[in-house]
Formats: sequence, C-alpha cells, structure tokens
Amino acid sequence: MDPLTPTQRDRGLERLRRLTFGATAGALVAVVGVSYVAAASYAGTSSANGSATAADTTTTTSTTTTTDSSSSSSSTSSSNSLQPSTQAPTTGSSGSGTVTSGGS
Amino acid sequence: MAVALESWKALGTSVHVLVTDAHGLARATSAVSEVLEDVDAAYSRFRNDSELSHLNANPGRSVRVSPLLASAIDAAQRAARLTDGAVDPTIGHAIRVAGYDDDFSRVAARGPHPALPRERGREIQLRAWRVPGWQAIRFDRRARTVLVPAGVELDLGSTGKALAADLAARAALSAAGTGGVLVSLGGDIAMAGTPPSGGWAIRVAENSRVRPDADGEVICVPAGGVATSSTTVRRWTRGTAVLHHIIDPQTSLPATGPFRTVTVAAATCLDANIASTAAIVRGEAAIDWLLSCHLPARLVENDGTIHYIGRWPDPSGVAA
Repeated sequence: MDPLTPTQRDRGLERLRRLTFGATAGALVAVVGVSYVAAASYAGTSSANGSATAADTTTTTSTTTTTDSSSSSSSTSSSNSLQPSTQAPTTGSSGSGTVTSGGS
Repeated sequence: MAVALESWKALGTSVHVLVTDAHGLARATSAVSEVLEDVDAAYSRFRNDSELSHLNANPGRSVRVSPLLASAIDAAQRAARLTDGAVDPTIGHAIRVAGYDDDFSRVAARGPHPALPRERGREIQLRAWRVPGWQAIRFDRRARTVLVPAGVELDLGSTGKALAADLAARAALSAAGTGGVLVSLGGDIAMAGTPPSGGWAIRVAENSRVRPDADGEVICVPAGGVATSSTTVRRWTRGTAVLHHIIDPQTSLPATGPFRTVTVAAATCLDANIASTAAIVRGEAAIDWLLSCHLPARLVENDGTIHYIGRWPDPSGVAA
C-alpha cells in the first residue's frame, strides 16, 4: 500500500472531522427530540411534598371569591388527599340559618 | 346578624341559598341558578342533550369537553383514586340496570315495576355487568379530551352534585360581594366567605327533607362542606328487591354494608361527599378509613346505632 500524500491525508482528516461533527450534532438533535417527546407523553405526578403544597393551595383557594368555575374546581380537585376542614364542627345552638344535611 | 334564605328546586333536588347580608340574596340566588343550569347542561345523566350524554353515546372516540365537564370528570377520577375505587364514575351502566335510569321522581312513580324476569317460576337475581373501573377512562386534563371505551358509561351523580355545591357557593359569594353564603343541594352543603357569628347551624338527618326545626342533632360549622350519604333515600323496588342509589363497584349492586347513613365535614363539600359515599361502600372498614383521613364523621348503623368519629361533636360529650 502506497503511503498517503500530504494532500490525501489532509482530505481524510477533513472528512473525519466532518463525520465527527455531523454525528455529534445528530446525537444532540436526537437527545432533544426524545426528551421533548418523553416530557409531553409522561406528565408525571406530584411527590408527597408537592401534595402538601397543593393541599395548602386548595384551602386558600376555597376561601377566595371567583366566578371562574373551571379554575376554582380544578384547584379543588388537585390535592392528593381528602382535606379536613380547618375548624371542626361544634355542637350547639349558637349558629344561624339552620339547614338540613341528609340523604337526597 | 340576620340570615336571608331563598329555596327552589333544581337538578332533581332542593336548593337552599343563605346569605349573611340580605342585600346580596338576589344576586347570590341568580349566580347559583346560573351555575346549576351550566351543571345540568354539562353532566346531567337524564338529559339527552347534555355533554355527558353525548360523551356516553360516543364510545371509543376522543371527545373534547367543556371546562366544567372536564372539572367534574377530574373530580370523579380523583374521588376514585382517593377511595381505592369505592366511589367510581363508571357505575353508569350498573345503576341504570338496577333501575335508576331517569329523574328519580319518575323512577319512584313507577311503583314496584318493572319486575325482574322469572325463570322456572322464580324471580331471577338482579345482576349487572362488572363495573369497568375509573382507570378505563382516558382523560387528558390539559387537552380536555375524554375517551370512554365501548361498554363503559359515566355517571357523575355523586361527586357532581357536591362539586356543583362548591362552585355555586363560590359564585354566590362573588355575586353577593360581602359576608358569607351557604348553598345546600339536596343536603350537600358548601359554605364560603365570613360565616355568621357562631357558624352555620346544620341539622344532621338521614333525609334532607327533614325540616330544619325538627328534633335532632344540630352542629355549627364555620366553613368548608358537609355531606350526607344514605341508603334510606332514593330507594325503589324491582320485583321483590329493594334497591338504592349507592352502588358498590365491587359487586355492581347497591351497597349492603352495616351503615345506612354517613355524614362528613371537610374542607369542601366535594371531599365531604367523597368520604361519606365511600364510607357507605366500604362498610365495616369505614371507621378506620375515616380516622386515617382525619375527617370528622357521624355514622348510623342499620340498627340505628350512631358512631361519632374524629372531631365530630358527640352530643353526649364522650369523645370518639
């Protein structure tokens, strides 16, 4: 096999450099693309800490005044546990405006 | 502080709106009416033109739904998740097969028919298809699309009414501007704003038709929601079988546990309703489950024995 001329060697090195650059760029594009698809497909769920925050938010939201049904209801239903009231019921006759809670 | 009240019928049940500032009553009432009309159009099971009926009539197709119906489905799926499926929105077929296939006033008016078919001289047992389970529903919250598989029928009745009470209370408070409001939809109660001094007085009964001034237990609640589920109401007969509206997804038939009525107080009417309905379905396991949820509750056994759970006030003064 004849030894390469300087010109042939330079062309070979240039070709190798282009291939390396192309492969790196292609890999980057693939990583970004796969990451995007994965993020869009698997939205994920809240962690335990996240649920505590959501619960706090729900309590706050329930006392605000808003007429936007969708936004208020979605915040209501976002917490990951059933939420107790901040104040427990009490017995007594001190309350006002009696209504009945019963099956219907 | 004088409380003003307006009452009427909607969604097949009674509606009560109370406000602490009488000047805001008309606005609050109007706001509640609008919410209930929207709810009826979005997820009534008995209106052929409701969004829910359209969804159930198009199985296997991804359907984009309104924000309100999306919220109701979201709430129903959360209820199923938090109760391990004891409260499940896919009971639609089961409850229809049991005979609750129309507005309840018309179901009740039918009397003891249709009788169950007879086989070799004996009435056959009522059976329903297995409840498919809430996981069968493909719901994309962000895109607001829902796919109901073939053979699955959604019923948002339980959580839907409680969600409506929460939404109506917030809308009423916004419309009234000041003070506090209470909205009761057939005994599912939501409160918003500043309560009257001493809180809202709520009589606890098995039937929401019991007059507020009747004898019985009264609790005072400052905020949040109170809901009662009971097997003693919305009952009907098919043949010799006496049925009610709380379906156990495990059996696809009306629940047969030891508790006939459960009342729960929670941060929202929706959460109170989820817990009270799940407690009826869970049966004997309900007390431990309610305690683990830290929800104050009152449970009535089939023989009338009453249990007070958590921070629910015991009229005898004995802590639970």
